[in-house]
Amino acid sequence: MHFRPMAYLDPGSGSFLIQIAIAALLGLAVALRASWGKIKGWFGIKPKPEEDDDDDSDEK
Amino acid sequence: MTTTQTRNNSGQLSASFRDPSGFLFTRSGVLYRQINRAYEPEYARLMNSGLYEKLVKAGLLIPHAEVDEAAAEPDAVLKIIQPERVSFISYPYEWSFGQLKSAALATLSIQKRALKADMSLKDASAYNIQFVRGKAALIDTLSFELYNEGQPWVAYRQFCQHFLAPLALMALKDVRLSQLLRVYIDGVPLDLASELLPAKTRLNFGLLTHIHLHASAQKRYAGEDLKTRGGKLGVNRQAMLGLIESLESTITKLDWTPHGTQWGNYYEITNYSESAFEHKKQLVSEWTRRLQPGMVWDLGANTGVFSRLASETAAYVVSFDIDPAAVEQNYRQVKNEKTENLLPLLLDLTNPSPALGWAHRERESFGARGPADLVLALALIHHLAIANNVPLPQVANFLAEAGKWLVIEFVPKSDSQVQKLLASRSDIFPTYTRRGFEDAFQTRFNIHESVDIHQTERVLYLMEIR
Repeated sequence: MHFRPMAYLDPGSGSFLIQIAIAALLGLAVALRASWGKIKGWFGIKPKPEEDDDDDSDEK
Repeated sequence: MTTTQTRNNSGQLSASFRDPSGFLFTRSGVLYRQINRAYEPEYARLMNSGLYEKLVKAGLLIPHAEVDEAAAEPDAVLKIIQPERVSFISYPYEWSFGQLKSAALATLSIQKRALKADMSLKDASAYNIQFVRGKAALIDTLSFELYNEGQPWVAYRQFCQHFLAPLALMALKDVRLSQLLRVYIDGVPLDLASELLPAKTRLNFGLLTHIHLHASAQKRYAGEDLKTRGGKLGVNRQAMLGLIESLESTITKLDWTPHGTQWGNYYEITNYSESAFEHKKQLVSEWTRRLQPGMVWDLGANTGVFSRLASETAAYVVSFDIDPAAVEQNYRQVKNEKTENLLPLLLDLTNPSPALGWAHRERESFGARGPADLVLALALIHHLAIANNVPLPQVANFLAEAGKWLVIEFVPKSDSQVQKLLASRSDIFPTYTRRGFEDAFQTRFNIHESVDIHQTERVLYLMEIR
C-alpha cells in the first residue's frame, strides 16, 4: 500500500476538469451527428429510427 | 441487505452510513429504508416524473413499497419504504467479466433515463448494483439527485473507477485483475489502471480519454481551486449525453472470451462416464426435490450444471467457482436462458471473501451471508483436502457453518482425478479414506444417505447438520 504524500490533494478537481473537456468534444459530436441527419434528410435519406431506451436495449 | 449485516443500536445497517438522504434498517427481520426530509424534492421527482415506474418496469431499479412503519430516526423522517429483498448480496470482486459489464451498462442506462426526467445519478458505485431476477439492478433508491443543466456528472470519476477501469483491465490485460476491487473499495485508482493497461489502449478513444487522460488530469490539477478555474465551465445536456454514450460504447466494445481448454469442455475433462454423470444428476435432483430448500450454495459449481438442476426446485441457487472462465460461461447461460433464481459468482474457497470497508462493516464476508439451507459440494473434497492440505475435520467444520444440509461427493485416492493431484505431491494424507471421511463428517453431520455412484469409486452423501 502506498500513501500519497499529497493526501490532501483531491483527484476530484482533475476529474471535473477533464470531464468538462471530454464532454465538450463529445457534445460537439452529438450535435454534428444530429445536423448530419438533417442534411441527409434534405436529400431524402431517412434517419435510422431512434433507439428506444424504454425497452431492454441495454441488455445486449 | 441481509439480517446478519452489522448494525448499530437503532438497527441501522452499516453499509448505508454515508448518505444523509436516508439509511437502511432492519426490524423483526424485515428490511426498511428511512428517507429523510432532506431528500424530499428528489424523492418526489423520482416518483412523480414516471422515472421510478420506467426503471422498475425495465428491471433496472429495485421496486419498493411505502409502508406505515415507525421511523428509526423520527426527527429526520420523510417516509419509510420497504424495498424488495435481494436474494443474495454479491460484490463486484465476485462477479465475472460479463456480470461487471452488465452492471456498468445498467448504470449508464439508468443515468440516460434519469436525465430525461431531469435527474442524475449522484453515485455510480458498483456496490449499488445487485443481481435481481438475473438482471443487474440499482438497489439504492436514494441515488438520484435533481439535474440542473450545466452541472457535470458528479459520479463520473466513480464510474470510471468502479466499472471502466476494471473492465478494461480484465478485457485487455488479465481477467484476474478484477481482484483489485477487493483491495480498492472505491474502485481501481485511475493512475494505477493507466499504468497497467497496455500502451495500445491509448489508441482507443474511450480508454485514452476516460482513463489515460483522466488519470493525467487528476495528477496535474490535484488540489486545484475550481472556483477560479472551472467556475464558469459546465457540461450542457448534449455534452452530458455525449459523455454517457461514449462510456457506453467504450464498454460495449470491451469483451473477454477465454480460449482453449479453459473454455468450454469442462465436463469432458472429467473421468465420468455418461451413465455415472446421469446417476449423479438423478441423485442431486431427487434429494433437492425432497428438501425443497430456500437457498442453495453450490460450492465448486464449475459452469453450473448441478446448480441448474437444483434451481428447478430450490427458491434460489448461488453457484460459486474459482475459475473466472467457468463463472463467465455460467453467467452467459443465465442471461441467455433468462434464469431468475441462479447467481454465478467467483469465489476461492481457500480464501473466501472477507469482511471489508470501514470498520469491516461495509461488505460482508462470505460466511456472514449464510448459512444456506443446502450446500452442494460435488467433486470438491479432494481439492480442499489434498490440493490444499485442509484436514477433513476442518473441511467438515467449514461446511457445517455454510449450510444446514449437505450433499457431498467423496472422491477416493484411487480415483484418477485424485491421482493427478497426488502426482505432484507426496501422499501425506493417511486418513483420506472413505472411513476417515465418514468419521470426520459424522462429528458435525448425520449421514442420511450414501450411494455409490454407478461405474465410479465415488460416493454421494446426503447429510444433515447435527
